[in-house]
Amino acid sequence: MLLLLNFVNYHTGAKVSCCLQLEMAISISCAYYHIILRMASTESYKKSLGYYGHVSLFWTDLISLMSSRPNSLMSTGPFRKLGVNSKKISAEMIEVNQELAEFNTRITEYYKQLTTTWNEAQKQFEKKVPEIPTDAEHLDSTKRIWIDIFENYFTRLFDSVEFAENFGKLVSSELELAKRWNNITSLMLETVNMPTKKEIDEMYKELHLLRKRVAKLEKIDNVGVNTNDK
Amino acid sequence: MTSELRIDPRIVAEFLQMNKNILEAPKLVAAPDEISLEMTPYDVVYSEGKMRLLHFISPEPKQARTPLLITYALINRYHILDIHPQKSWVRNMLEQGLDVYLIDWGTPTEMDRYLGFDDYVNGYMDNCVNFVLNESSVENVSMQGYCTGGTLATVYASLYPKKIKNLILTAPVIDGSKDSTVVANLAKHMDVDKMVDVVGNMPPEFMYYVFSILKPFEQGLEKYVQFFKNIHNKDYVENFIRVEKWLSDTPPVPGELFREWVKNIYQDNLLIRNQMYVAGRQVNLKNISMPVFTQVAVGDHLVSPECSMPIHYAVSTEDKTLRIYATGHVGMIASSFSQKRVLPELGQWIKERSEK
Repeated sequence: MLLLLNFVNYHTGAKVSCCLQLEMAISISCAYYHIILRMASTESYKKSLGYYGHVSLFWTDLISLMSSRPNSLMSTGPFRKLGVNSKKISAEMIEVNQELAEFNTRITEYYKQLTTTWNEAQKQFEKKVPEIPTDAEHLDSTKRIWIDIFENYFTRLFDSVEFAENFGKLVSSELELAKRWNNITSLMLETVNMPTKKEIDEMYKELHLLRKRVAKLEKIDNVGVNTNDK
Repeated sequence: MTSELRIDPRIVAEFLQMNKNILEAPKLVAAPDEISLEMTPYDVVYSEGKMRLLHFISPEPKQARTPLLITYALINRYHILDIHPQKSWVRNMLEQGLDVYLIDWGTPTEMDRYLGFDDYVNGYMDNCVNFVLNESSVENVSMQGYCTGGTLATVYASLYPKKIKNLILTAPVIDGSKDSTVVANLAKHMDVDKMVDVVGNMPPEFMYYVFSILKPFEQGLEKYVQFFKNIHNKDYVENFIRVEKWLSDTPPVPGELFREWVKNIYQDNLLIRNQMYVAGRQVNLKNISMPVFTQVAVGDHLVSPECSMPIHYAVSTEDKTLRIYATGHVGMIASSFSQKRVLPELGQWIKERSEK
């Protein structure tokens, strides 16, 4: 770090005292240390997830390879399909952890926004309180002031772009979790030969299109009948 | 050294009274599940899928041949238009001599997730209009749309202008870019494709969350304090429970319709720019050449007046009226204020422009 500073000094011709150089070097080192520590924690988290994923998939694959051939005799029961799908289920479970990390970030930010707003509103209310007498006549007006202050602060928060953006991402991360959950459920349903959500959705879509076609044909038919009547 | 906590004894008395009211509440008020929100009798004259067309039975003689068809919103249920005998929109219209029909969208299930604007406007709404035209032997109807129903009515009137004699839009969602509400803010930042692809229909719980942050302290706290404070006021608590029951019952919105809605209205703002297409047909607001009556509320925190009012300037008709009321989204349709101010002038306006 000192070398770097000397290099900067040399090239810019700046006269920086030794003491200041040392102070700057320490603060820059600290900042670097924090960045590296953060990177390390995110990296190590990803690394351990990756490792866990790899080990899990390795053994699932290997066991499947070792045992699937003799077991193919049982292909009509659920075990064969479960064996095949268990790899996909493991992959989904691993991915869920990553979605959970995003969800936690968003929900923490959500509660942080609420807490900060509450504290600001409370401070504003406390500023007003000493001005209001504490008797029965003023109880209602004190409550009114409390509601008005809190309502104003929170409405401002809910109207803000920051809140809406984080809320949108929070809902989105929840939906990602729901998607994984749906995928796992679908795999389990597939294992026992039950229709999955995707298959039912396809049926709904088909039904919707058929209804539209029938309505269209009925309209054409009605026009024909009316014309014949005339 | 002694310390003394000084509390006004009247505050303590008020606190104790509140506790007493809370304990007495179950004896004085029916549970929401024990009450029915059905008020004015009706016949189900037509149905298709989950949708029902209701025809209200009127004790009054008709003063106009042109029937009024109400297109209710996609959020919550139509009961708010008939929530209480003294605050019923439907009953008031009947008493003014109008023949009232209403579209109840029902409760869509996962099976209905592919229903979109095309199915609602060219399918359900057009079929209902045709049915009413046949029943009433008239050439066109007066159509009223409330909230998101106002948007559907706008789209319908643009595509089928000959079938609409008068168009009434009550807090319609029109210009998403000008909507300053929390609902619009969240809608603009939402990944609606992902939501529809993963969960299908828009779940009611999502709407309940949005409601909960609209006025969290007024609606989430003070409202209930006032309820227990007024627990001996029969009219107050009865109305409170009815509205609460209505608020906590919203059906899912079909996935495709929700996707088109958020994208076309809030994110890309296509409707007001005449760039929205339904089944390949352009929704041009200039096609709206029949008389138009637009109603907005200054205190509307679900659809801001700035979002609704552009329709008044976008239509081609010369016969148009814009009314801005000093109330809220629900206050405009289900309150003493609406009975005294909003409905009499609307009824008069419709009758003046209807077939006798």
